[in-house]
Amino acid sequence: MAVRPSAPSVAALRARYEQRVERLTTLRHVRSELVSLAGLIGKPVLNQAGQQIGKVADVVARWDSNQSYPPATGLIVRVGRRRAWLPIDAVDEFGRDRIRLRTARLDLREVARRPGEVELARDVIDHQLVDTDGARVIRASDLYLARVAGVVQLVGVDVGFNSLLRRLGPARFRSYPTPEKVIDWASITSFGSQHGPGGTLQAAEHGLQRLRPGELADLLEDLGRTERRDLLAQLTPEQAADALEEMQEEELVQLLRESDTAEAAELLGRMEPDEAADGLRELEPGEQEKLLAAMPAEARDRVATLLGYGERTAGGIMTTVLVVATPPETIAQVRDRLRANREHDEDLAGVIVLGDDGQLLDDLTTTELFLAEPEATVDDLIGPPWPVTVTPDADLDEIAERLVETRHSSVVVVDEEERPLGRILVDDVLDMLVPDRSRFRFPRRLS
Amino acid sequence: MSDVQEGALPPPGEVASGPRRRPPARRPLRRRILVVLAFMGPGIIAANAGNDAGGIATYASAGAQFGYRTLFAMLLVTVALVVVQEMCARLGAYTGEGLGALIREQFSIRVTAFALLALIVANVGLVVSEFAGIAAAMELLHVSKYISIPVAAVAIWALVVFGSYKYAERLFLVLSLVFFAYPVAAFLSHPDYAQAGAQLIWPHFLATKEFLLLVVALIGTTITPYMQFYVAAAVVDRGIGPADYPGEKLDTVAGSIFCNIISIFIIVATAAAIHVRAPLESAKQAAQALAPVAGRFATQLFAIGLLGASALAAAVVPLSTAYAISEARGVERSVSKSFRQAPLFLGLFTAQVFIGGAVALIPGNLIQLLVQAQVLNGLITPILLTYVLVLANRTSVLGDAANGRVFKVVATTSVVTVAILSATVLIQAVLSGFGIA
Repeated sequence: MAVRPSAPSVAALRARYEQRVERLTTLRHVRSELVSLAGLIGKPVLNQAGQQIGKVADVVARWDSNQSYPPATGLIVRVGRRRAWLPIDAVDEFGRDRIRLRTARLDLREVARRPGEVELARDVIDHQLVDTDGARVIRASDLYLARVAGVVQLVGVDVGFNSLLRRLGPARFRSYPTPEKVIDWASITSFGSQHGPGGTLQAAEHGLQRLRPGELADLLEDLGRTERRDLLAQLTPEQAADALEEMQEEELVQLLRESDTAEAAELLGRMEPDEAADGLRELEPGEQEKLLAAMPAEARDRVATLLGYGERTAGGIMTTVLVVATPPETIAQVRDRLRANREHDEDLAGVIVLGDDGQLLDDLTTTELFLAEPEATVDDLIGPPWPVTVTPDADLDEIAERLVETRHSSVVVVDEEERPLGRILVDDVLDMLVPDRSRFRFPRRLS
Repeated sequence: MSDVQEGALPPPGEVASGPRRRPPARRPLRRRILVVLAFMGPGIIAANAGNDAGGIATYASAGAQFGYRTLFAMLLVTVALVVVQEMCARLGAYTGEGLGALIREQFSIRVTAFALLALIVANVGLVVSEFAGIAAAMELLHVSKYISIPVAAVAIWALVVFGSYKYAERLFLVLSLVFFAYPVAAFLSHPDYAQAGAQLIWPHFLATKEFLLLVVALIGTTITPYMQFYVAAAVVDRGIGPADYPGEKLDTVAGSIFCNIISIFIIVATAAAIHVRAPLESAKQAAQALAPVAGRFATQLFAIGLLGASALAAAVVPLSTAYAISEARGVERSVSKSFRQAPLFLGLFTAQVFIGGAVALIPGNLIQLLVQAQVLNGLITPILLTYVLVLANRTSVLGDAANGRVFKVVATTSVVTVAILSATVLIQAVLSGFGIA
């Protein structure tokens, strides 16, 4: 029903006005609590007596604390030409435009980097971060700190343009927070832990768990080299493998190249064989051998077989993950088997029915299985529609044509004795037919 | 029977001998083509972008005005270009980030803003010159620039935003291959080899204002700021990493040298074809250099090449500016997104195309406008080169791949030389503005 919004009533206007007032009050309140990191840099550090002893050079936070909001552990203070370490315990007032110490005296210690700690102004502001809520890569324009329950914590990231302008402008306006587009730090995945053996943020990992493989793949493609490796390290191996399957081929190849062999081989082993083969195909023969050798034996055999086929032929496109059944089995048994293979669900369009000599008898779609009685046998279901088959050397056009003719969602690849080798899903064909237009690509070559 | 059965495949050892298994014939063939085409990597494409409308006009102008005398300057420019492009490709390969992002991460916000502003100014100048190139080409084919520029601007904008640019791009690339006719033209026009060779190798300089201005234009068109951003971003875009870097280095170095050889031939061919040593007046005059190849069709041939090169760059230059800025800002940079999703990227692209087109419409001498845009680029080049140099020197960015001691000296010398030349031109312009010089 298409209802045009009528002119807003007085009540609606009032409600909107109240909302706005409330929002502004919250904003003012939040604003008064927030300390802008960019604004704090260069501000005076005062002792108890109010004498200036130095200027703030950076704020150090601990990444590996298992908390959603990383606590600040100390400040780096510039005293004359020296950079000195000031533990956060020594700070009495953590203000927007000054830091006041608890003591009159301060013993200046050398700045020593401890594992798991990051200098926020040097390593985080202006660098890449992942916003897991929005599933995107961002660059921090500013960071906001706040004292919560006595602990100074990193609470938010500003990605707004106003913050950039504020930082560009004169210094005296710089410390006034402009929280216009702020992301809660709890949904941020950060990098920079590579400087030490410190772990990663547990809470951020939970954020990463929520992302779909496709989103993760986009994130990986957008990140710089070190950040990318950092993010991969924070993913579970299964998640990483799923994400890699969704990546652009050339990005995947690059990632395989820069990872060390054992890691890359593990990821490849967990990927669907056809996607793994696509990645390996683009590598130099030497690198290919090395990775294949390091893969688990079962996965290696599958991938190696796929590599034997041409890239744009049925053999090169198909997945070799097939769930098979024999005529005497019951539907319930087959369903259990499908359930057991849930990890491959994207590649399972049906169940292959094999005869005694390993020949393809039928291809039961999941719908057929779903509608059948659990007690029925596979034999009962054999019948039209008959499976659509192609040979491994069929080219893309032929496969597409067969799919269009028959309106099936997948074709079965068989050898000349009608034994099934693999399956091609309609989305595999789609991937190859649709030109890649995901972003501005720099002109390649004449082709 | 196992749950998930492998298709009834023979064990891997037998695969190759199976009756129906074709040997993977595609692969080696494709490899071989790739090896040949590797020559068309990001390095050569970026360097070739130097031979756009502004490039052709500037090289032709150099040949017409000073004969072979700018050849030695071109030799120096080539060295500087190789050094600079190599650093940019290396930065892209080792960090996986473009120059825009690297500058944002490594410099303070104000210094970053300055660099990006300089890039925008230089590139808007370039876009103007690309549209001037399109106009000059169409005027040779008897189409008024008041028709050709608006049509071209709208067409290029629509092609990019609505996504069929990829095919147009190939057409433009093929058209611009016309300029490979220059070396042939140079040989056919029987240049004075002895003089050309001597001017190329013998270090010399003319201490006139015009010569200096032209040398800065040559620098500006050959070591364009846009090319540095382009090569780094393209290396990242293509997923070239440290492992492939040796190949990419070869591509960048060979590409830079190759394209400058073409440029030198443009100067030689024009110098041999035009005997009156004066600034170029029109594109028609410049086209005469192709007469030894195309005879009376020289004008048409030149127009086709100029159109292709200009149209190609008129889309790519604004796109890569938008890319660099969006990358530094950390927002979406994709042509497949809508204006709502990628406002900065598409907004910057749109603004550049239309501002560029509008400025090119201002009445005046198109060829001279082209050369002036290159002077502007030449003035800005040393600013951005300094950033590149600082980045490539930092071990915190590149680790072991940072500039070594010898490379540092060569690179610094190149940048300083370019900077001194640009500064001289700038000071001269300011002084003459006050009526002193």
